[in-house]
Amino acid sequence: MDKQTIYKSAADSILTANEELAVKVFSDAKSAGFDLLDLLGSGYGAGIQELGELFGKGRVFLPEVMMAAETMRKASELIEAELPPGTAAKKATIVIGTVAGDVHDIGKGIICALLKSNGYMVHDIGREVPAQVFIDKAEEVNADYIGSSALLTTTMPEQKKIEELLTKQGLRSKYKTLVGGAPVTKRWAQKIGADAYCENASELLAQLNEWQEVR
Amino acid sequence: MTGKELIFAAMRHEKTPAVPWVPFAGVHAGALKGYNGIEVLKDADKLYESLMEVHKLYQPHGMPITFDLQIEAEILGCDLLWQEYAPPSVKSHPYSEGQKLPCPCAIPNENAGRLPVVLEAMRRVKASVGETTALYGLICGPFTLASHLRGSNIFLDMIKDPEYVKRLVEFCAQVCIKISGMYIDAGMDVIAAVDPLVSQVSPAHIEEMLHDGFKAIFDYIRSKKVFSSFFVCGNATNQIEVMCRTNPDSISVDENVNMPKAKQITDKYNITIGGNIPLTTTMLLGTQQDNMKTVIDLLDSLDHHNLIISPGCDMPYDTPIENTVAAAQAVLNTDACRKIIENYEAPKSDIKIELPDYKSNKKVLIELFTLDSDVCAACTYMLRNVQDVYEEIKDIAEYVEYKYINRENIARTGAMGISNLPTMCLDGEIKWVSIIPDRETFISEIKKYAAKK
Repeated sequence: MDKQTIYKSAADSILTANEELAVKVFSDAKSAGFDLLDLLGSGYGAGIQELGELFGKGRVFLPEVMMAAETMRKASELIEAELPPGTAAKKATIVIGTVAGDVHDIGKGIICALLKSNGYMVHDIGREVPAQVFIDKAEEVNADYIGSSALLTTTMPEQKKIEELLTKQGLRSKYKTLVGGAPVTKRWAQKIGADAYCENASELLAQLNEWQEVR
Repeated sequence: MTGKELIFAAMRHEKTPAVPWVPFAGVHAGALKGYNGIEVLKDADKLYESLMEVHKLYQPHGMPITFDLQIEAEILGCDLLWQEYAPPSVKSHPYSEGQKLPCPCAIPNENAGRLPVVLEAMRRVKASVGETTALYGLICGPFTLASHLRGSNIFLDMIKDPEYVKRLVEFCAQVCIKISGMYIDAGMDVIAAVDPLVSQVSPAHIEEMLHDGFKAIFDYIRSKKVFSSFFVCGNATNQIEVMCRTNPDSISVDENVNMPKAKQITDKYNITIGGNIPLTTTMLLGTQQDNMKTVIDLLDSLDHHNLIISPGCDMPYDTPIENTVAAAQAVLNTDACRKIIENYEAPKSDIKIELPDYKSNKKVLIELFTLDSDVCAACTYMLRNVQDVYEEIKDIAEYVEYKYINRENIARTGAMGISNLPTMCLDGEIKWVSIIPDRETFISEIKKYAAKK
């Protein structure tokens, strides 16, 4: 089987959340001696990216995306198990979480799956995370980006607190910050001094990729 | 025609003489009386008191009693994260680790959880304003309730095990029906099934797994001779049509939905649509002018038949009162508000305003800057507050009202640096913006100013 067909099948396996196909593609690629890391990013990854775009356009919905993320997780596990430790070069590192007082995290889960499949090192610090913990984790893992999600108007101020603490601790220029969540707007991001507002997972990925290009 | 009759006419899809107005003041109701979200959602007295304030200030044709989608989930075993300035959130899901179905014996009775608080508030609000105002009982929709019980795994279940989802939603629909019955018995005129998660699943999945549950709820409500509504949050543009097929009397959508396009669909099914003043950008963070303009633009973009104007969803706790007052005015007195917006946008007036010489005035001067106390409830309330105590303070204070309807008063409002109405000033200092002080606070403040004379 040629490379193009294998890569297309990998993308299709994600788009259709077909785990059986994803495993078969992996076996075929391995037997054929393909670069498995490239298959992860440009094969399976292309599928999850397309799905993210379709989700952003309202063409597919949460159940399909969550199923695809599960298939993607399986493909990633298979490939990472084949790689010597430290082989997987990461584009950049992001710390991501839902802010204190907020227990909503479905959207964040989708973002994490999309970013991981696109080669980012993702540290998901969960939900109800105080502002300082975002910063502590970013310092600990030497992150490049900090992403926070707020699903309630009452928890949005915690995103502002992240900005304030970064400034107060002299770390503001070290990280780029991204904010999102249902009530969050571009205007809010500008008001608190965040670097970007992202409406959905695919916007966030596009923003990170754009920043990566100029790094 | 009373507000209630107006809502009923809209729900019956009759031509109405005006567009009905339904502000969704959930925990925000508490803000009007200084109570936090926990207090209004757990204490019937505080909830009732807050709702009376909503009624007084915002002049609703219809109003919800609570906007809390966690009441049912809490009864069924979910742990809640309580917050002072927002409704609680569900933080644990009893069936997150396994596909279980609740026992039919878990369907709540009137004494379960916080239902006694809600039912008492409903009965009291009904007795106070139910003759003229349509009262909305809000229930958590069956799909969102199912997700509260199962957690986000329910989205995977929709693909892996649709039969399980159907059975869980069927149970939740039975809960909805039982609670709807209680709310109807407590005097509610409209039962709204609020199901934000419907916007997250495909129309095909809604038809396959959710349709029957919703239809059973709306059929039941109709059989009890009251009206139904289907509230959704998020970008539900793709789901409006299948929502219509569940046959509610009305649908309510948030700011993510293009109302004119959505209305084309709801009109096809002869269903009334409500919405969709943006919550954050306009109601919470916007100005009074933004709110008037948004509502007027909304009204101008839509055919007024089968239409209700309301916020996109539950109003944030801290929504400035003056913003909701402005939205209310724009629905209730649209033409007057057009004029006000023109005034706001007009070039600065060349009228020279001579401000009073507060220092040499022997009495404290109370200046009331209002939109127009003849039509704006909050303005009337502020004026009456002064009039009610005037006998007691007339030896030390005098008052004057400036309505924002003539060029001189508009210029005076600008000269005083006032940007929101109604505002009350004492001796030239802005003291209260939209908030009407209680009698004791007001008199005490007047006396303080008088003592400085």
